[in-house]
Amino acid sequence: MDNSIIKKKILSVVPDAIIEETQFITATIPSDKLREVALCLKNDKELQFDYLQDLIGMDWGETLGVIYNLFSTSNNQQQVVLKTSTTNKENPELHTVSDIWNSATLYEREVYDFFGIKFINHPGLRRLFLRADWNGYPLRKDYDTDAKKNPIPKRNQTIEDMETTETLTLTNEGVVGGSFQLFDDKEYIVNMGPQHPATHGVLHLRVSLEGETVKKIDPNFGYIHRGIEKMCEGYTYPQILHLTDRLDYLSGTINRHAVCLCVEKAIGLEVPERAHYIRTILDELTRIASHLLGWGCMCMDMGSITAFVYGMRDREKIMDIFEESGGGRLMCNYSVIGGVSHDIHPNFIQRIRDFIPYMRKMLKEYHILFTENPIARGRMNDIGYLTTEQAISYGVTGPSGRASGWMNDVRKLAPYAAYDKIKFEPMMRTEGGTFERYIVRLDEVEESLKMLEQLIDKMPEGEYCAKTKAIIKIPEGEYFQRVENARGDFGVYISSKGDKNPYRVKFRSPCMTLVSALSPITCGEKIADLVMIGASLDYVIPCIDR
Amino acid sequence: MKSVIAYVKKILVGLWNLILGMKITWLNLFRKKITEQYPENRDKLVMFERFRGELIMPHNANNEHKCTACGICQMNCPNGTIRITSKTETDEQTGKTKKVLDTYMYDLGSCIFCDLCVQTCPSDAITWSQAFEHSVYTRAKLDKKLNREGSKMAEKVKPTANETAIN
Amino acid sequence: MFDFKVVTDWIDTLLRVQLGLPNFWTLAIEFILVGVAFLAAYAVLALILIYVERKICAFFQCRIGPNRVGKWGILQSIADMIKILLKEIISIDRSDKVLFVLAPFFVIMGSILTFAALPFGKGLHAIDFNIGVFYLIAVSSLGIIGILLAGWSSNNKYTLIGAMRSGAQLVSYELSAALALMTVVVFAGTMQLSQIVEKQAEVWNIFNGIAAIPAFIAFVIYLIAGHAETNRGPFDLPEAESELTAGYHTEYSGITFGFYYLAEYMNMFIVAAIATTVFLGGWQPLHISGWEGFNQVMDYIPSVVWFFGKTAVCIFFALWVRWTFPRLRIDQLLKFEWKILMPISLINLLLMALVVTLL
Repeated sequence: MDNSIIKKKILSVVPDAIIEETQFITATIPSDKLREVALCLKNDKELQFDYLQDLIGMDWGETLGVIYNLFSTSNNQQQVVLKTSTTNKENPELHTVSDIWNSATLYEREVYDFFGIKFINHPGLRRLFLRADWNGYPLRKDYDTDAKKNPIPKRNQTIEDMETTETLTLTNEGVVGGSFQLFDDKEYIVNMGPQHPATHGVLHLRVSLEGETVKKIDPNFGYIHRGIEKMCEGYTYPQILHLTDRLDYLSGTINRHAVCLCVEKAIGLEVPERAHYIRTILDELTRIASHLLGWGCMCMDMGSITAFVYGMRDREKIMDIFEESGGGRLMCNYSVIGGVSHDIHPNFIQRIRDFIPYMRKMLKEYHILFTENPIARGRMNDIGYLTTEQAISYGVTGPSGRASGWMNDVRKLAPYAAYDKIKFEPMMRTEGGTFERYIVRLDEVEESLKMLEQLIDKMPEGEYCAKTKAIIKIPEGEYFQRVENARGDFGVYISSKGDKNPYRVKFRSPCMTLVSALSPITCGEKIADLVMIGASLDYVIPCIDR
Repeated sequence: MKSVIAYVKKILVGLWNLILGMKITWLNLFRKKITEQYPENRDKLVMFERFRGELIMPHNANNEHKCTACGICQMNCPNGTIRITSKTETDEQTGKTKKVLDTYMYDLGSCIFCDLCVQTCPSDAITWSQAFEHSVYTRAKLDKKLNREGSKMAEKVKPTANETAIN
Repeated sequence: MFDFKVVTDWIDTLLRVQLGLPNFWTLAIEFILVGVAFLAAYAVLALILIYVERKICAFFQCRIGPNRVGKWGILQSIADMIKILLKEIISIDRSDKVLFVLAPFFVIMGSILTFAALPFGKGLHAIDFNIGVFYLIAVSSLGIIGILLAGWSSNNKYTLIGAMRSGAQLVSYELSAALALMTVVVFAGTMQLSQIVEKQAEVWNIFNGIAAIPAFIAFVIYLIAGHAETNRGPFDLPEAESELTAGYHTEYSGITFGFYYLAEYMNMFIVAAIATTVFLGGWQPLHISGWEGFNQVMDYIPSVVWFFGKTAVCIFFALWVRWTFPRLRIDQLLKFEWKILMPISLINLLLMALVVTLL
């Protein structure tokens, strides 16, 4: 579809929208017209922008606002960026879009948490990462980080702090504030986490139970929030890179790749072909490693601890490949702006050649040990269904989304690095159950092995890193980049004012949307299934708690 | 009758699959054990040469290092792990003053091994060692001085054309 | 084959005749001796089992397992025991103190009482009730009271869920286990353990001609149900680690936790031992009719070795299953019992009755 149609449609709804046209359309909308544009983009038969990839809070200095990064799943991944802002810095209010795109529910809470923008008609507006008694909004440019003037609360956070939530409702008399209790007093609430064997990090789920049946889930985040986005604003671009490995530590290499690509795109740097291949190999190895761990954890959450050890055993071989060439295991620090930091180690190719047949043999064992096991099948079959519409609306990307029949593989949709030079099929299932999510991961391991075979055969000789300036400055502007990490659509947004530091960095975490989808698919199932469905979604908490 | 046969068949197929699964664990019972026997294997344990264990400043036989105290590593370090103090020294023969390294402090406790210091060092004065046994009793011991006592900067050897290309 | 009756008779005569003690004191001393022997055996067996389980589990998982304390880590469980004994017993705020302390005793009493009624070898049998099988089933279910009490008194939501699961599970699986044992009782015509063992002198129950079919089915059912009763393997729902952290014993520490720990391992032993006694001929050696030389060689192996050897095989099988399979869900667990195991057990009981009438 042509950009001009989108432009026309937006202008027909809001004539005074400011539209910039690059590869995609960027439309600045007055805040009161936002919902109309959003509804038009979502519901129009021709447009169907049904996937809200990211919702980015911004402090432009004079104004506070939000950037909506929208994609159309049916229309060839057309992208539209909406911007809206308010000049009222004392009490900024915008309209919610959480009823249009479900994934916005958590995103808007995050924006409220960091920028203090209140969303009218949001179903439960409260802080997402920070505590309820936190002073100020830390990602605002005028936030005082001085601990003396703006002390960090030292009181123990109690469960009562999580009991209620605020809301803003639009009535005839204007916007009315209110609050409500999340759970009834009579409900049997179990706190799963932050320390719990099966939350894959420090996720705190407040689960309301009736017997063994889950009635309601309320996720609480922020137990390991490190303020990475705020830290990035004070770092130079090469320094930002090391933080990306610490987001989703299981696909650190891929996250780092995303930031490298974004910066390279911004400064117009030509990366050597060999570096592209090396990075792609690393990405696929990381994906295999992550899926092996994901598989193992899911087996362990279902009680099969031996399978977990087997997964870890085979993942170790990949870790060795990383360590030999990159010098680190999880925090590989291998990609740098312009290429990779070293050329590959002489053993690199041979190790991968040895690994591929080994892994194929082990995959067969995995299938016999667990996939075909009647107990495991009994647990996984016919449970935790996520429909395609739900997956898109909640923004469940990656293997979990593909299990629901949503082709969302960024490697195919917007190929980067060497992905357009090799043959591969995105692994898809249509049913969207727990078993499908499980099997898609193992299928992807197999597909990644095929990709590795092609990549090591095709890898060209030559430079491994392009020369960069000592101090990298990105020209003024906004840059988006997305890659497919092991859990889904990982997005990087960099806004630059032309300095050596970014003005704002936002990472689109695929895990946050995964957790938001946990609630609709688990309610009504047993508590044992909550653990298993959570494992099948395969979220990693540091990716959420940025 | 058919349903009974299907019922029995389902149970038997399930049992067969359980037995196949048990075969896999049985095979693994006799496979080579994969765990590292640390610290027993300490003598034989060789880390990969690129492994980033700890930042070091190599000195040659004359107790000379290559650091010019330019401070680029300190500037690039995201965590403030490196602190360089320099002093000015007057060359007795020529009378020129130049900046030389006084202390090169490296705080292992806050290092995140991002490799930026080594990558950006213009004179290759620092590198990584493969030591990984970092535990000490007090945090102060993690703050290490990398230049040795009484060491001085090595005379600059003009880099050959080949080396410049790599850098 | 050595008969341990020689030893026990000798002690009895020593006390009565040589020392000339009256009946009361003789019995009192004998009771104390037997009691001490059982407690010691109980603890030592549990320690060995803990070590064996850790080692076998490690080998299944391509690991080495405990290897620090002593050669191959054989003293590891002793070190663990000392650690558990030295640990503080943490009292829980707002818990039911009396029940909280009482619960582990129920669990351990249930398993010791069962343990004491097992025939370990020829003449090595403390109490030989004529309703032995009935006694075993009855006493081994005492433990469930302890588990329910623990779950309730801990004032913790996880323990309560764990205890409720445990209650449902044990009550259900008790039925299959009992029916499986009843199959053999029907065949043997007695509930007395010594008689059941005695009748297997020529051939073990699971190899005994036409009766082998129902006996073998009963054996498999008993292993599954017994496994479920011990809360292990694919049936470890009451303490499902990934869901309920540690289930009903989450709040226990020190020796009170140690009791649960001991009881869990000993229950595994007890289930294996009952299976051995009832289905695998107890301490009887393997005899194949017609192979006289072979039978005589087998007879030279002491009865205790036979008993513990067979039990060890059963235990290894239990460990193998535990470290291979994932856990069932509670509704699947109950469905499995009531829709698969129970009907099969009932039909199997009928089958055995038929076999007995035909013979």
